[in-house]
This record gives sequence, structure tokens and C-alpha cells, in this order.
Amino acid sequence: MSLPRLELRRASKTYQSNGQSLRALYDVSFTVEAGSVTALVGRSGCGKTTLLNLAGAMDFPTSGDVLIDGESTSALSESALTALRRNRIGFVFQFFQLLPALTVLENVELPLLLAGAPDSQKAARDRLQWVGLEDKASALPYQLSGGQAQRTAIARALAHSPDILIADEPTGNLDNASGEQVLNLIRESAEKWGAAVLMATHSSEAAAIAQTQIRLRDGRIEETIRA
Amino acid sequence: MKRVLQLFRTLILRPLRRDLLRTSLTVLAVALGVAVVIATSLAGDAATGSFLSSLETLVGRTDLEIVANGGVDEAWIGRLAALPVNARFAPVIETQAGIERAGSVTVYGIDAVARWRDSDGAVISTALARRLGVAKGATVALTLNDAAREFRVVDIVDAKDAEFVLLDIALAQQALNEYGRVDRIEVFAGARQDFAALERAIRATLPAGYELRKPGARSDENQRMVRAFRWNLLVLSYVSLVVGAFLIYNTISVSVVRRRPEIGVLRALGAGRRWILWLFLGEALLFGIAGSAVGVLLGRVLAVGAVGLIGQTVNALYVSSRPAPVALDGADVALAIVSGVSVAFFAALAPALEAMRVAPTEAMGRGAREHQARLHWRRDLAWAAVITLMAAAVSRIQPIDGKPVAGYVATLLAIAAAALAAPAVVIGVSRALGPASRALAGAEGLLAGRGLSAALGRTAVVVGALATAIAMMASVGIMVGSFRETVVVWLDTQLRADLYVRPASRGGGAGQFPALSPEVPGLIAGTPGVEAVDIFHGLEVRYGGVRATLGAGDADIVRRYGRLRFLPGEDRDAALQSLIGQDRIIVSEPFAYKHNVHPGETLTLPLGDRNVALTVAGIYYDYSSERGLIILDRGTLLKYLPQQPVTNLAIYLSPGADAIAVRHAIEERAAGRHILIAPNQALRENAVIVFDRTFAITYALEGVAITVAMLGAANSLLAMVLDRRRELGLLRYLGAAPAQLRRMILLEAGMVGFMANVLGLALGFALSLLLVYVINKQSFGWTIQFHPPAGLLAGALTLVWATTILAGFYPARVASRINPIEVIHEE
Ligand SMILES: Nc1ncnc2c1ncn2[C@@H]1O[C@H](COP(=O)(O)OP(=O)(O)OP(=O)(O)O)[C@@H](O)[C@H]1O
Ligand SMILES: [Mg+2]
Repeated sequence: MSLPRLELRRASKTYQSNGQSLRALYDVSFTVEAGSVTALVGRSGCGKTTLLNLAGAMDFPTSGDVLIDGESTSALSESALTALRRNRIGFVFQFFQLLPALTVLENVELPLLLAGAPDSQKAARDRLQWVGLEDKASALPYQLSGGQAQRTAIARALAHSPDILIADEPTGNLDNASGEQVLNLIRESAEKWGAAVLMATHSSEAAAIAQTQIRLRDGRIEETIRA
Repeated sequence: MKRVLQLFRTLILRPLRRDLLRTSLTVLAVALGVAVVIATSLAGDAATGSFLSSLETLVGRTDLEIVANGGVDEAWIGRLAALPVNARFAPVIETQAGIERAGSVTVYGIDAVARWRDSDGAVISTALARRLGVAKGATVALTLNDAAREFRVVDIVDAKDAEFVLLDIALAQQALNEYGRVDRIEVFAGARQDFAALERAIRATLPAGYELRKPGARSDENQRMVRAFRWNLLVLSYVSLVVGAFLIYNTISVSVVRRRPEIGVLRALGAGRRWILWLFLGEALLFGIAGSAVGVLLGRVLAVGAVGLIGQTVNALYVSSRPAPVALDGADVALAIVSGVSVAFFAALAPALEAMRVAPTEAMGRGAREHQARLHWRRDLAWAAVITLMAAAVSRIQPIDGKPVAGYVATLLAIAAAALAAPAVVIGVSRALGPASRALAGAEGLLAGRGLSAALGRTAVVVGALATAIAMMASVGIMVGSFRETVVVWLDTQLRADLYVRPASRGGGAGQFPALSPEVPGLIAGTPGVEAVDIFHGLEVRYGGVRATLGAGDADIVRRYGRLRFLPGEDRDAALQSLIGQDRIIVSEPFAYKHNVHPGETLTLPLGDRNVALTVAGIYYDYSSERGLIILDRGTLLKYLPQQPVTNLAIYLSPGADAIAVRHAIEERAAGRHILIAPNQALRENAVIVFDRTFAITYALEGVAITVAMLGAANSLLAMVLDRRRELGLLRYLGAAPAQLRRMILLEAGMVGFMANVLGLALGFALSLLLVYVINKQSFGWTIQFHPPAGLLAGALTLVWATTILAGFYPARVASRINPIEVIHEE
């Protein structure tokens, strides 16, 4: 049996603020396989974003482990983490987070440029074409609609063909039609590109594209539903 | 009112406290600007404020004084004393003497009380006694003119901190070889003497060439002489404040941009527009007040250093003065507060007005807003062109009250034009550099270039501020460099003699011409190897309410050996030839400019007891004296002032003679006389050293302006980093290494420095033209050849550029340490 692409093993996260400690995650364990979509659902404040940051190796559990292909993120050096983010992880955010000074194409190309990848422009054009925005390549972000902006963000997250896609409420700011387009792209990134997708969402339409739904409540897994 | 204060506290004060580093950088920038203005003003006062004779501290205030060009005949004392008035007439000789290991000291010859009269008795002031460590009965050696002589200290008198030596007038005349002549007669009105009647009676008695005046006139005269110099210095000192204004503008703009959402909410909740306006003006005033307060203290400290620098210039160019202590009074403090606060106020006006106009439902995102700013750059550039043309037109206006007001207005217009051109430069340079920086520095290059042009408004202000400081540095550098080159070339043509001789007594400041012993010229002329000796008489004269230097030489020798250059269109040989045996003169360019005289005109110069009409035969270039020179033939001078001593000699050697051997031979022949024999080369070098010293204060002022701009650059780069925290955090999510963010900010710093250099060099070139051809010409009358010192400029600009990058180090570090998780959800 091959190792799961992403695995959380009894991961807990405690925030320290103003001398008080707040436990945001409590003994969370699950796996995400390559080519599958896992949805995180639950009330606001239940710990979804916290969990995504752990899974994306942006943050580290206070106890337990986050394993990517069996390797614990806590054990990695700063440069290994940067390499990990560059080569293997893609992020999509609720508020798109495009760089306003760069064109659509440059935004998509950015992760490749940061990684110093060759032929970055061609790869970026391919992704833009995939999300259906090749005609907006030289537009600036403020000239895009919310749906277009989020599609750009997905193209950017997948520019470097990551193994893991982390999406934090990707449809949270979109109308239904745009949301549907975005969800299709996310599904495709798992099915077509083989990414392991972990997505936090409040919407049932979004959750519906997932093979697995994990419901969090106060930092614990309340239930796991497999489609 | 209470609610406004509450708002002020939460919206303005709290963020200021949170951003303590940036707040202090801004305050410091204003403080430095204010400090320079204060220091220049204080030091100017101190360096020129002590023209009053220190004799007054001893003998009390004189009511009137009698002076004459070439000295006053002492016979007049007796004649005046015979007048039926109740007044005392006291002769005074005032000169500078060298004193062993203690520089120079003022020596007064006065009509002393009997007990001081002694064949070699001197009275010294307590301050001098203290400095020399001598007591009553000791001897002091003074070099007067070209003779050293020992005097016995017969008494020590208290005159506060004034340093001087008193000799009996007869002894002074003997020591100086000036029999029958005094420098002035001081008049003390007796009790119940009608002052006007006294004045009338004296004036009726005195010959035409003598001047009767209030003692303050001397001081006024000096102040008038240095007025243009001080005015220029003061204006220069305001440049730092202008640079500071850019920074206030920047800080308030940042503050407005950051609080736009809050302003929108406040307006929606019913806050009036005026509230918002005053909220931000209040923030600026806070900077102004804090900056001024720190600036006053800092200025007081800087002034102490500046006194020496300004004193050097005043001494070299105008008149000997002794620095007075630096004194800070209420007026100075008021000046500081007013300048600091008003600069802050006006700099903040535009952004505060913008804040006022924020609509209650502020919908536009920052990206769209910046895009709008980007659309204006063409319009701004057009305005810059219009204002440049205006500046060019204004620069042609004649001086007002002797001040180059138009030149300064043109300077301000040029700076304004540059500020308006700044956005175009930012766009242009980032477009030009964009592909290259992307190719060379990848993502960092792309992000740095775009980041700057995306935040166009912000970047343009930083570039404008830095460019103004660079332009000032470049323009003053070009002006001084051109001036220096002009002087060096001029010295080359001017100083043609092989050796120059003058007395060794110290005090080589402007207006001092110690005499050579009468036998010295003969001794030297007879030395083998000497072909010709030009005998020169220098003396200080009063003309047209200011002082000038009157010089007399052998016009024929000057014509044959010298290389005076005359203004275009004048015949040098004919002009010099015509001086011989006639009441004709040539004058230096600054003299002609100051007194508005032209060739062929006649001016009336009092010489001795007569008013002499002298015809101007020509105007020649001279850079040795800002006060101006009048040159006539020796014969003419001696006709009117037969006793006038020789002060300098220029020696031309026979062809093939060995300069060093001749010099030794002269030294041997003149043994026992304290004379300085300088070879041509040494004199030239010395002149250049004096020149450089003269401009030391200018360099100091520039240094401060550059420092202020650097603080600004660091401040703005930091603001740019803090403003883009979310973006920087996002980049980390997208796989940027901390080192990449650091590089990106440093690249931005480098680009800002480059843009500022481009704009600053262009502005600096324009300003240097104004300085050379308008401001300098109108202030001092010198024609300067345009000679930009390319190497020096390149070095200075590179240094500034490197410093800008250095200023980026801290912001770069902040950028690399941002915690991405914390900032990613901020807006
Ligand atoms: N940096 C932090 N320091 C302290 N507490 C934090 C921090 N980040 C999150 N928390 C707390 O941890 C808990 C989980 O927060 P998290 O952002 O993961 O919730 P979420 O499920 O993403 O909510 P939402 O659906 O509203 O985005 C919350 O109680 C929150 O207040
Ligand atoms: Mg969340």
C-alpha cells in the first residue's frame, strides 16, 4: 500500500495570545489521497483555516504530525519548506489575493517565477487557457469580476502542478454561477491533474464535489462522511 | 470638540504610537530641517556679530568717529580740540599683530595715561593674559608688520572676554612706522554738549575727504557686506526644510490611505468634512511642533560647529571678525516653530483635503485608485513643462534690492516642476528597467518594478524628495566646481610673477594690509637674478557705504608681465597704459557690478583729505575679493597719499635664474625682517585652499539635506513594506523565500535611488544654471565659467545611491520577517 499524499496524525494546535492559550485543533487525524477532494465543513471558528495552514505547511501542529508523503512537516528546514511550497503545494483563498500590480498572466506565472522555473510563461498561458481566461491575460486584477479573479487564483495555484491544493472557502465570495465554475475547476484539478485537494467551505454545493466530508466542531472531528 | 479629540486619539495618536520608528523618523527629518535653519541663522549672527570694537568694552561708547581712506592726519586732533565745544578727541590706531604660538591679536594704539607711557610698555586684557599665561612684568613678543618686537606688560585690564593689546599711540606709530597718522579719531561728547551742534562744528572743520560718522556705521557697513552671503546661506539652509516637507506630505498621505476605510465609516456615521480635514492637519501639526522643538535644541548644538565654518568664509572674503558666543533668543525659537509648523501644515494640506473628500460610501479599492493616479502622470508632466518655462522666464528678472529674488523663485518653480515630473520618471524608468530587472532578478525584479509603479503616488513623493536633495547637492557641486575651475584658471593667468613677498604679521584676512619696511623693495630689487619688482600698495577704503580694496602697482610692469583679463570688448594694453600719470583706475568685476559702474564713467573716491575724481578705464575679472578692487597706478596713489606704505611685492626673475637660489639670496639680504616669500605655486595652492575652506559650510548644509532625504527614503520604504504586508505574506504562500522578499525590497530601494538620481541630476543641472548665471551673478557679481566636475558628481551620486540601498536594509528585514499567516487575511 502506498503512503497517503497528505496525512494528519493526532494533530493539535494551541494558540497563545495575551497569556491565554486557546486550543483551535484537538487530536485531528485523517488522510487525503492523490486525485481526491476532501471538504472541511463546520461553523465559523471551528478551526478550518487553522487546519488548512497546518496541511499547507504554513504552520505547524503543537503536538502530533502533519505528513506529506510520509514526511513530517515539523522536521523540515526553512529552505525545505520553501521548496515544498514552491513545488508541491498550491493555495486558493476566499478573497482571491491577486497582486494588484501584476497582470492576470503575471499573477499566474508568479509561483513559477519565484521558483525560477523554465518556460514559466508558456505554463502560465496553459493554465489560463484551462480556466478560460486567456483573453484576459494582460488585464489587471481590478478589471476582473469576482469569478474571473478566483479562476485566475486557481490557475495560479495550479501553475506549478502541485501535489496538494489547499482551498479556503474558494466560493465564499462568489455568486452561484461563478461558484459552480470554480468548483468544476477544483474537481478537475483532482481528477485531471491528480492533486490531493483539501477545501474548507460553508456551502453544501461545494462540499458535494468532495469524496470525503470532514465536519469539525470546536477543533475536533465531529464526523467523517464518505460519498 | 471632545469627540474630535477622542477621534484624534484613536485614529491618529494610537497608530503613531504603534509605528514609533516611523513616527520618530518623520519627527527627526523635520527636526533636522529646522535645526539647519536655526544653526545657520545663529551661527551667522555669531560669526558676523562681533564687528564692534572690543575697545568699547574698555573706554565706553564713542559718540562719533572720524575716519578717512588712507588714515587720518593726527594734526587734526589739535585743531579739533581747539573748537569751542565740550568734547574729547581721542586718536586710535587699530591693527592686527602676530603673537607667538597664539595666532593673531588686535592691537590698539591709544592716547594712554601717563603711567603706561614707557619705551616698550604694553597693557593687555585679562582674557589675553589668561590665554597667554602671562602676568604683569612679563614680556610678550608681537609681530607688527614685518618686525618682531618685545613689549613689557605694564598692566592688565579687565575687558570681559575681549582679547587685545593696548600701546601708547606714539609707541604704536613708531612700531608700525606710521608717523603722524592714526586710523580714526574717536569723539566723546561732554556733559550738556548739544550733539547736533557738535556734529556741525566738526564737519565744518574737517576737510572734504574725511568722514564723520556714528560708530555703529562700521558695524552696519560690515553687516551690509556680508548680507548677500548670509542671505544665500539662509536660503540654502531652507532646502533641508523643503526636503522635510516632502516627507511630511508622504507621511500624511500614508496616514490618509491607511485610514480610508475608517474615514468612510466615520463620514457615514455623520462626521463632518471639517473634522476629517483637521484630524489630519492635526497630525501634521503634531509632527511640526515636535520636530521644531527637537530642531531648536539640535540647531543650537549644530550652530557651535557652524560658527567656525561661517567665520572662515567671512574672514576670507569680507572682513576680519571674531566669533561671538552663540546666543539663542526668543526670535530664533519663534522662527524655528513658525518654519517647522508651517512647513508641516502646507505639506499636509493636499492629503488632508483628499481625506476630507472621501465619500461616506468609499467603494473604490486601492488598485483602482492607484490606477487613477497613474492616468494623471501625463497631465502632470505637461504641467512640469509649463512650470519649467515659467522658471526660465522668471530667471531673467533683475535683482530686487540687491537680492536675487527672481533666482530663488525660479529655483522653487524648478523644484515644483521636478516634483510634477516625478511620476513620469517613475513610470519611464520602471518601464525601461522592467524587462532588464525581470531578466536579471526574476520574480523579485518583476515585483520590485511593478510595486513601485503600482504605488505611483507614494513612489513619486519619495523620488521627488530624494531628487530635491540630490539636485541641491549636484547643483551646488556644479556651481562650486565651476567656480573653483574658474578661479584656478584665473589664478594661472593672474599670478605671473615668480615670487611674492608680504610681511609675516598674522591676520591675512580680508581688508588687512600690513606694511613692508621702506627699505625692503630696494634690497630685493638689487638681488642678482631679479629682473623686475612690482611694488604694490594695498589698503582698505570705504566707497559707497561699503568697503573695497584699493590697490596700486606699477601699471607698466603689470602691463608687461601680468595677464589681467578684461571683460570682453576692452583693450587691456590701452587701459593699463592710460593709468600712468592720470587719475584713472580699473575696477574688478564684482566692484563694477555692486556699484553699477561702467568704463568711461567717473567715480569720486575720498583719498586722504581730498575727494578725488577717478575715471574708470576698464573692468577686469577678479575672484580674489567679493568686496571689489580698485586698481590705480602707484604714482597716482602716492600723489594723494604720499605716506602710503608698500604692502606686497611681486618679483619677476631674469630668464634662467634659479627661483630657489634667488629666494635664499633675498632672505639673506632681508635678514631680521619678518617677511614671507612665497613662490608662485605655493600662493596658488594657498588660494585654492582658502577657496575650499570658504565653501566648507555649503558642503555641511548639503550633507544635512542628504541625511534628511535618507531618513525619508528609509521611512517611505518602511511604509511601503508595512502597507503591502498582506501581499508580502501572500508571496510566502506562493513559495517566496524570505531572502527573495529581502532582495525585492532592496531592489526597490535601488530603483528608487536610481529614479531619484535621474530626476535629481536633471533638476540639479537646471538649478546649477540658476546658481551660476542668476543667483551668484546677482549676489556677488562674479562671472563663473560653467565647468561641471564630472568625476566628483559621479562619485557623489553613486554614494547617494548606495546610501539609498542601505536605507532599504531595515525595511527589507522587516519584509522578510513578516508572518504570512497573520497578515494574509488583513486588508
Ligand atoms: N493567530 C491566532 N491566535 C489566536 N487565536 C487564533 C488565531 N487564529 C485563529 N485563532 C482562533 O482559533 C479558532 C479557529 O480559527 P479558524 O480561523 O481556524 O476558524 P475557521 O474555522 O477558519 O473560521 P471561519 O469559518 O470563520 O473562517 C478561533 O477560535 C480563532 O479565534
Ligand atoms: Mg477560516
